[in-house]
Amino acid sequence: MRFVVFVKQVPDTMAVRLDGNGSLVRDGVPAILNPYCESALSHILSIKNEGDTVAAVTMGPQKAADALRRCVELGADEAYLLSDRDFAGADTWATSRALAAFVGKYEPDADLYVFGRQAIDGDTGQVPYEVAGLLDVQQFAYVRALAKDGDTFTAVQDYESFERAAKVPRRSVVSFGTVDPSGMLPTVEGYRRGKAAEIKVLGRVDIGLGLYSVGLKGSVTKIVGTDSVKAARRNMKVEITDPNIAAELIIKERRAVG
Amino acid sequence: MSGCEGGSCSTCGGSDDPDRLPPGMLKMYDVNQSTADGILVFLEAEANGLSDVGAEILGKARSICDGRLFAVVFGGLEIKPLYPEIFGYGVDTLYHVRDKRLETYVPEAYAACVCEVIARIEPAIVLFGATPKGRELAPRVASSLGRGLTADCTDLRTDGRKLTATRPAFGGTLMADIDCVGFPQLATVRPGTFPKPERKEGQGTAIYWQYTGDVLKEIVSDVPLPPSEGGDIRDARILISLGDGIRDRSLIDVAESVARKMGAEVSCSRALVEKGWMPRSRQVGMSGRTVAPDLYIAFGISGAVQHRAGMMGAGKVVAVNRDADAPIHGFADLSLLADAGEVLRALDRSL
Repeated sequence: MRFVVFVKQVPDTMAVRLDGNGSLVRDGVPAILNPYCESALSHILSIKNEGDTVAAVTMGPQKAADALRRCVELGADEAYLLSDRDFAGADTWATSRALAAFVGKYEPDADLYVFGRQAIDGDTGQVPYEVAGLLDVQQFAYVRALAKDGDTFTAVQDYESFERAAKVPRRSVVSFGTVDPSGMLPTVEGYRRGKAAEIKVLGRVDIGLGLYSVGLKGSVTKIVGTDSVKAARRNMKVEITDPNIAAELIIKERRAVG
Repeated sequence: MSGCEGGSCSTCGGSDDPDRLPPGMLKMYDVNQSTADGILVFLEAEANGLSDVGAEILGKARSICDGRLFAVVFGGLEIKPLYPEIFGYGVDTLYHVRDKRLETYVPEAYAACVCEVIARIEPAIVLFGATPKGRELAPRVASSLGRGLTADCTDLRTDGRKLTATRPAFGGTLMADIDCVGFPQLATVRPGTFPKPERKEGQGTAIYWQYTGDVLKEIVSDVPLPPSEGGDIRDARILISLGDGIRDRSLIDVAESVARKMGAEVSCSRALVEKGWMPRSRQVGMSGRTVAPDLYIAFGISGAVQHRAGMMGAGKVVAVNRDADAPIHGFADLSLLADAGEVLRALDRSL
């Protein structure tokens, strides 16, 4: 069986801090593999049998190859990096078009196309379903567990108000809603494999899209303005030695709101 | 062909291409403009009636829309009693997809139906609630149409038919205004953003719609999940929120007890959800819920930007965290540099 896992490299938003003015400090923030994507990959690796192959795909700048290396460390067999100057500034639609074009050209017949629910930097969570729409295949969102019996899959989906178990046909898009808190640790062998991994880099021409179908030019949403949000808080700092004093202060605040 | 070669008329620039229009004609007659107008809202029905977010969006849509207001809803007979309420919120025409096969949620078929309705009424704007279903359905519709979709908006403005949607970016430190290219313009709207309009009875046109496709899912089972224990954290006036600094699981029980005595609810940051100590429905932040209580007491929360995005609207913020460098101290009214666990226990004793 063939699995294609789409991943994204994101800044480690847990490490992003605010400076004194409340604006983001993004310098020196490490880039990581999006935890939702990592969890999706780990689900696929856990149902992978002898002879099955897993390809990891990402779109991003050259340094996004690090995220793919991490995928190979964890157990992916192949890695594709869609990287081109023309891809810059893509919104979810332009991104989805590029990924769908990649699928059409390089992986038209994979068993499952796998995503994580959302990227922790953008939080739009739209790309999996836009790709599913473009490929005209079924989509399975918020998947919690994926079971394999013989040649068929059953997905358990968590829709908050109800839980659904459904059969997943071949070529479906599956989007995992889970995050693994502790993350995965690569084996020593995996680490070596990641170092030696060959990353196949594909550009716009390779996936057969025109200049006006990708990146900023191919985007259908435009950011027209931004407004920084500043919180005005009193910000009184009190060093506490006795927890009872803290308790009293909190009870006072509680009374103040009535 | 046109027999005017070499004539003195210069209207078409001497072109013999019959498709070529005289210069300036497009601009003159505006024939290249889309005629899309009005707003279409995707409504979700719940067991006890129309979903709150549906009503909220209808209220907002009516106030920003000069044209007609359409709605599309899926379901069987149980939808009919909701008609007066839906029309009461200002809907002119309701498309009711009544198809036995679609009484359970099937994203592909739902998206196909919404696209058909869009093709028929040509709305300028299509709005969905940013619920699990809406967040899954809207992208599918957007990609079928090849149009722009703004996720999880917190504000909508219109200038004529043009929509500008506002959504928090970069962990809520920035509000980005986003325009879509072309019509229709799509957006999902975060629940709880707009006030729910007053409920009144109304009248309008309802049209039954049939699904003509045959893409259906093979569903093994649909099990309703019980609503999470306790109240919704979004409704709470006082929140006791726990974070990574809570190292001992028994402290959650202590926090529950403090919350009971204070008349508060317990919420948490992402760290505790990932540990499996708290359910996702209790998570405050960008991937959780957005809350705006009168008093927000954060115990052992470091205050990552995602978390901040979810609690920015709080009236008063008290932060208890031993780490003096934790970012949460930067946006708290009162910062107590103390061990979160000890303070929780002391609170429990003294209340």
